[in-house]
Amino acid sequence: MAKISRRDFIKMGAAGLLATVLTGCQNPRRWVTLEPYVIPPEEQLAGVATWYASTCRQCPAGCGIIVRVMNGRALKIEGNPKHPLNKGKLCARGQAGLQVLYNPDRLPGPVQQTERGSGRFQPISWEEGLNTLYDRLRQAGSGTAIWTGSTTSGHLLDLFERFAAATGAPSPLVFDLYSELNGLAALENADRAFFGQNRLPTYNLEQADVILSFGADFLGPWLSQVRYGMAFGAFRSQSLGKRGYLVQLEPRMSITGAKADWWLPISPGTEALVAQALARIIADGPLGPAEWATKANTLASEIDVSSVAAASGIPVTELEQLAHIFAAATRPLAIPGNALAAQDGQGTAIAAVQALNAIAGADGLALSPDSPATSLLKPQVSPFGDVQALIERMQAGDVQVLLIHGANPVYDLPESARVVDALAHVPFVVSFGPIADETGVQADLVLPDRTYLESWGYDVTSPGFDLPAVGSQQPVVTPVFDAHSTADVLLTVTRGIPTAAAALPWSDEVAFLKEIIPQLGPGAAGGLDTDVLWSRFLQHGGWWPATAPPPAPHTPVLSQSVQAEAPQFQGDEQEYPYFLHLYMSDLLSDGRGADQPWLQGSPDPMTTVAWQTWVEIHPQTAQKLGVKDGDVVHITSPAGEIEAPVYIYPAIRPNTIAVPVGQGHTDYGRYARKRGSNPMDLVGTTSEGLAWATTRVKITPTGKKIAQAGFENKAGVDEGFINEAFPG
Amino acid sequence: MTLAEHKWTMVVDLDKCTGCGACVVACHAENNVPIVSEEQTIQGRAMHWMRIERYWEGSYPEIKARFIPLMCQQCERAPCEPVCPVYATLHSEREHLNLQVYNRCVGTRYCQNNDPYKVRFFNFFDPIFDEPLTQQLNPDVTVRSAGVMEKCTFCVQRIRRAEERARLEERPLADGEVLPACVQTCPPGALVFGDLNDEASAVSQLLSGNARQFKLLEHLGTEPSVVYLKGGTSYVST
Repeated sequence: MAKISRRDFIKMGAAGLLATVLTGCQNPRRWVTLEPYVIPPEEQLAGVATWYASTCRQCPAGCGIIVRVMNGRALKIEGNPKHPLNKGKLCARGQAGLQVLYNPDRLPGPVQQTERGSGRFQPISWEEGLNTLYDRLRQAGSGTAIWTGSTTSGHLLDLFERFAAATGAPSPLVFDLYSELNGLAALENADRAFFGQNRLPTYNLEQADVILSFGADFLGPWLSQVRYGMAFGAFRSQSLGKRGYLVQLEPRMSITGAKADWWLPISPGTEALVAQALARIIADGPLGPAEWATKANTLASEIDVSSVAAASGIPVTELEQLAHIFAAATRPLAIPGNALAAQDGQGTAIAAVQALNAIAGADGLALSPDSPATSLLKPQVSPFGDVQALIERMQAGDVQVLLIHGANPVYDLPESARVVDALAHVPFVVSFGPIADETGVQADLVLPDRTYLESWGYDVTSPGFDLPAVGSQQPVVTPVFDAHSTADVLLTVTRGIPTAAAALPWSDEVAFLKEIIPQLGPGAAGGLDTDVLWSRFLQHGGWWPATAPPPAPHTPVLSQSVQAEAPQFQGDEQEYPYFLHLYMSDLLSDGRGADQPWLQGSPDPMTTVAWQTWVEIHPQTAQKLGVKDGDVVHITSPAGEIEAPVYIYPAIRPNTIAVPVGQGHTDYGRYARKRGSNPMDLVGTTSEGLAWATTRVKITPTGKKIAQAGFENKAGVDEGFINEAFPG
Repeated sequence: MTLAEHKWTMVVDLDKCTGCGACVVACHAENNVPIVSEEQTIQGRAMHWMRIERYWEGSYPEIKARFIPLMCQQCERAPCEPVCPVYATLHSEREHLNLQVYNRCVGTRYCQNNDPYKVRFFNFFDPIFDEPLTQQLNPDVTVRSAGVMEKCTFCVQRIRRAEERARLEERPLADGEVLPACVQTCPPGALVFGDLNDEASAVSQLLSGNARQFKLLEHLGTEPSVVYLKGGTSYVST
């Protein structure tokens, strides 16, 4: 036997390890392979960090990120300083992205379950999982339905669209709780009606001197917490020492309300009425420059200001004062909030607020730049009617296979939407969630997708500020668990389905991305040939032009007055005396952050409570009900009921109670499970959507009490000697 | 080569702070600060080197909420320092920082008791990072064990890294080169960090002649290195 030298032995070991890694993933050229230090990869030095650019997928906004990687571990996420949306900044959820990647409750591989809802998953091989999916999809033909979320990568949605078109199935649905509570579909629609562009509006706060926000929690998890946070900083420190003035109208003080110069607790649902009253006062004054009054005359509706004062709870003098502040400003801006988008007649309600912008000629402050002229897909959130249509199709037995990616409909939708019931009528449900969430537990097959820090993709930045942009997504580390990219899964199974195979000819998702991305052409990062364009796209974290294209000419379509009515609330006023105000948790957003301990354990900014659900009640109301902090109350609406402990909150209308959305998961990993309650259970459906902003409730004390995991010390509050904010 | 003396200073503009909590999570991620369970949080053992305090002012409906981000104030005359029997908490004269030496700490908690800002946190238990969450740990920062006191360091590891880079390139540190994790992520730019010894630095410029500045519990004579700018007002014509 030939003598093996020590050097040969190390070489053999290295080759052996390399071979193992190569066979481990199906497409080795896509990752930096783990190699022993005898052959260190060029850019990997022990103890020296490498930074990879990608895109954050914790919410649909799509901030650019750079990830610090050392020895194959992702260590810290920072904002990408070059990205036009967030310019190096990130929010709390963006910072917590590592816990999406390294979450201990991620499925180790594909699983199936024989009894839905049991949660008893049997691990299967990828081969078996792919074959099962292939068989089902082939048999289903046009009976396939696809349900995606607002953070599903553009390329996957594009592939889903192509697959649906080829098999004759309906277009994928894009709907999750985040899009619903932000009113994304309604805002996009209203924007089309108002500006003739089908995009999310971008409000340029930094250029405004007065902002009237009609319940828009733009500093919270609204359209882009990071960008609006940055813009707010600039709004407060404008040139020549100018400081912008913010008025916030909302029934419960949000973090945006906390920063307002004037916070006005307005009766829920009357935002559009107040906007119309302001237009009326400006027209009648006439207030402001002559052309404003002319426009106000055209746009203001015949509304009685004193009846608006009665309905909204804001006295006529204060309405007049508001109109004066608005009309005396140089560049005032009105922002329609998300609650407006949850009312029937949402388009009119939003238009009533936008009319103020039209009067002040402020539409320039509320415009997004033109989308890049490409075929790249931005998920367009489906209106709720489409959701109801799909649920009806499922109930009618017209759906053979349901594919769910990036959405958690069982958690997102209240019981009144009857999703679980509809799922029971679907013979085969496939979830692509990396963690078994409430929907995954109702699925027959879970083929876990990779999380965003180990995935490929692109994201057309929306809302698009400053420059039209497409964010890039690339794996920053090798996959942590045996998860496979859903796009690759789709491309693999369609090879055997003749109708779809021709429409999806790519070998894998990277081949697809490399074909469509370079079509963007050279952006600010430059590059001439396809390979250079592709690598610059990854290196810089996306594509955007060096300079903003000239804005396309637009005519505000709004030319006559709108008549927004006060919305109808569900529940009789006598039986259900309180308005329900739901808002997204600043940290957990729509509940998708509940699996991340950094977000669970960090205190809520307004209440400092972590880990729990609470119901915010005005001190006087609490006194009337005889409840104190931590007392558990039963909340009942016409649609459902929950229990939650009281948090006495001095900045809320006495006839309104507020509950954060985000907790109340029955699955979704150890940090989320059985924690608090999901207030969406209180919400009923209307003809146009979910009544999360138009529901009345009643409250009954249960006699139980829990300790609140608050960071603030409320010692003395119960004894009643703290201050006038807590009378009694 | 002698090391330059720095007066590291953080400016917190309360008019800009939106209370969003990005700094809180960024700090947890950068400094391996453990997340404390619900039960222990109720016991008052939550650990956040950086936190947002919210104060109510006035009563409904003329009520206001004020956010104050609070971290170790890096006092020049720190009340926590002289009470440490083992010199685990001590002062850096060169950097004007209040250091914490974890492997000296014996857990008397005297410093926490004497700290007027309540920004020191004690590890009552060993931190738990469920696998594979250990992968997220920053290798530049020690994971503290049970019985050890910890607090904000102004991201001293980032200061060191920037200094080492500058020394290798044989140049002085540039303003803005050192960014603690909270400052780097803060969307509205409410947090600004820099060297007060450098007259051209952003913090020096921001503080020079600024009537809004104040320090927390100034009357105690702790001489904090964190300077707050109080919220402003706008005058609108009505």
